[in-house]
Amino acid sequence: MSITLDQVTKQYQGNPVVNDVSLAVAEGEFFVLLGPSGSGKSTLLRAIAGLTEVDHGRITLFGRDVTQVSAREREVGFVFQNYALFRHMTVGENIEFALRVRREKAAERVRRRKELLELIGLADMDDRLPIQLSGGQQQRVAVARALAHKPKVLLLDEPFGALDAKIREELRRTIRSVQRELGITTILVTHDQEEAFALGDRLGVMNLGRLLEAGRPTDLYSRPATRFVATFLGAANLLLRREARLGPEAAGQSRREQEVVAMLRPEEAELAPDRDALTTGFLGYGHVEEMQFTGALERLRVRMGTEAAERHADASATAMSPVWIDVTRTQPEQRAFPLAPGQLVAVGTRRIHVLPTPLSSFTVCAESREAAERLMSNHWLTDLAARMQTRLSAQVEPQLASEIPAPGPAPAGVAVVAAGPDCPAKVRRLLGRGVTPILCLPEDAEPPGRVVVHFAGQVARRATLAMTASLLRHVPAEAVFLGILPSGSPERTRTAGVRQLLDVRSEAQAGHGLDVRTELRLGDRIEELLRELGSQPGQMLVLGLPEAGSLPENFEALLTQSPGWPVLLA
Amino acid sequence: MVGIAATGAAEIARRPGRGTLRSALVRWVFIALSLGFLAAVLLAPLAAVFATALGQGIGAYLDSFKDPDTGSAIRLTLLTAVIVVPLNTIFGISAAWAIAKFEFRGKTFLITLIDLPFAVSPIISGLVYVLLFGAQGWFGIWLQEHNIDVIFALPGIVLATLFVTFPYVARELIPLMEQLGNDEEEAAITLGASGLMTFVRVTLPKIRWGLIYGVILCNARAMGEFGAVSVVSGHIRGLTTTMPLHIEILYNEYAFVGAFAVASLLTLLAVVTLIVKSVIEWQASRTTGH
Repeated sequence: MSITLDQVTKQYQGNPVVNDVSLAVAEGEFFVLLGPSGSGKSTLLRAIAGLTEVDHGRITLFGRDVTQVSAREREVGFVFQNYALFRHMTVGENIEFALRVRREKAAERVRRRKELLELIGLADMDDRLPIQLSGGQQQRVAVARALAHKPKVLLLDEPFGALDAKIREELRRTIRSVQRELGITTILVTHDQEEAFALGDRLGVMNLGRLLEAGRPTDLYSRPATRFVATFLGAANLLLRREARLGPEAAGQSRREQEVVAMLRPEEAELAPDRDALTTGFLGYGHVEEMQFTGALERLRVRMGTEAAERHADASATAMSPVWIDVTRTQPEQRAFPLAPGQLVAVGTRRIHVLPTPLSSFTVCAESREAAERLMSNHWLTDLAARMQTRLSAQVEPQLASEIPAPGPAPAGVAVVAAGPDCPAKVRRLLGRGVTPILCLPEDAEPPGRVVVHFAGQVARRATLAMTASLLRHVPAEAVFLGILPSGSPERTRTAGVRQLLDVRSEAQAGHGLDVRTELRLGDRIEELLRELGSQPGQMLVLGLPEAGSLPENFEALLTQSPGWPVLLA
Repeated sequence: MVGIAATGAAEIARRPGRGTLRSALVRWVFIALSLGFLAAVLLAPLAAVFATALGQGIGAYLDSFKDPDTGSAIRLTLLTAVIVVPLNTIFGISAAWAIAKFEFRGKTFLITLIDLPFAVSPIISGLVYVLLFGAQGWFGIWLQEHNIDVIFALPGIVLATLFVTFPYVARELIPLMEQLGNDEEEAAITLGASGLMTFVRVTLPKIRWGLIYGVILCNARAMGEFGAVSVVSGHIRGLTTTMPLHIEILYNEYAFVGAFAVASLLTLLAVVTLIVKSVIEWQASRTTGH
């Protein structure tokens, strides 16, 4: 591997900008880091170049640990968004700067300068000053300058950001061909997904400082694992569906329908006059609400009718939001079935991809309508639901905490209950009905800055890890696995405890691409957890249940504290 | 159709209307006003300086420089400038560097401090040094014991001048460096340049015009400073009088030709400063394209 990042973290004023990022880039690979502005992608690139120091983690270039090595000794080529050419030097002097610094002989400098000018196609521009060049030409010079000292790694920070579309396209080709010709390992940072697809052998998508997923462009596009990647790489309709899912975990449980998040790409939707005319799986009927002609494609927005709504949302939801589906159609499709706004159409799905996230939606469970509304307007919850672009609904059950079995259906997705004295009773009832995960939410919860993960049982269940991984992709928080052993435990138990934590860490990393730190404490579990969570505001707890559907009684103290913290039981 | 519309618009734009006539009038009034004001307030005194200095012929003018006290005043002024200007250049560059490139606690405080000499009357800055280093000052006794003269000697004059002139280079460089940013330096470092090499090869050429201008302003003020130096110098003729102090002494003795001859030197310095400034601005606009 030529570039290896191991749990790299960078904080600004306590907020993680780059959060536990691990990544390996192969030799000669063109890797594109993609993310919205503020996702930490540029900071990560600067950290690799040594222009920004990291707080944790390790950066290795070709097997050499460079975490503590200064930028000038890392031997990387860096291209800046705004070119950063030396404005008082000519093009030629700019290009040979790295060689001059290394006291190379004049003849060698001239040779290399010529070679690079040829490479970028600016052979006759040697004596110009940067201001006499166009933006595209300046960026070519910047690329040549970054390659002069034959670095093994080329880093490009939004190199096309300041250029117009046509020059972008051209420069993109130049960079791609230069990279192929030299076989240099390259990381390019961009916020433009089209650019990422066009250039990258592999992509990594970043959001909120985390590297969410990395993989080949086609894989990430067709089979994303996270909501963010699904919607950031191209357009996507995210649908909530109920599916009977029987995993190994559910074997002992009553067979219950689970809610899943499914992704339907606009181009994978099919429209037909009625259900029988569809060649693919039927999704529902809807009315065409908006139509846009964009040249090659036609964009449509279809508002799904009641039949579809019933499939996608609970009838008990207080505020039923309408379900829209975005569809794009090619010219032949448009000719085969011309449409007008307001028309009723049947929607079919050619290909639908179910995201592996266990966090599908939130259902607030409360005894009264007022209590439900109070929980629904909780900022902590509305923020998270908005970030996850998911539904937030309510289910009112007057006997939520009592022993009488509830008549209604089990709440979909994550059941949310208010924290407080009667929270443990509610949790017990819900767990008894086979409902997991459950979120206990205090009224004045602060946005999470730190997520503490602890396993109530001896083993770390896969479901808890999946839940944690999914949650952490939507909050800008650092995460720590906390292992707690009784203070008098013998050396052997301690070693076992450490091993268990490390196993959890490697499983989280292998199974979910999630990097977390681990800490081992000695003492009483409940006391240690109370102390940890009480030590600073803005924390939340993910509590791994020992087995599906049961919460040890001593842990109930964690749900009744005031001021409290959100607890996700999974 | 399009052609006709275009010519129509062009004709209307060219037709002189009442509005344009009035605005031309306003323009001329303003130009005449400001030129007249400049002539009355700036040019007339300047002309008066040279007229009086050369009033009794070029011979008398040149003779006035042969006076040993005048000579020593000129030497002292030059010596002060030679010490003060490099010190303030180094200070100005490092302060501007720190402010423009780093985030640190007390940054706004440092910026305010740099502006202090602009805000404080020069007399006060002189008095502060008398208070610190004078015979009755805080360090006065210690200095006497060690036989060090600060007040009424060269060190005091240098200190006072240093204080008054230290904002010039820093003030010129801070906005320039903030505007130019850090990218070129970072690029140089990724290309393998050391800190010193980056400064000499990249930063210095980048800021050179601003720096030269700051140094020239600093120099002009260092040579021309009157108030602060007047307090600490003690006016010992031939020893601690700088050019501005010497002019005052000569003037008070009704030696008008001598006074104005020395004054004409300072005036020439101002003129040279302005010329160099124009040249620099022209050069800077040529290389950066602004």
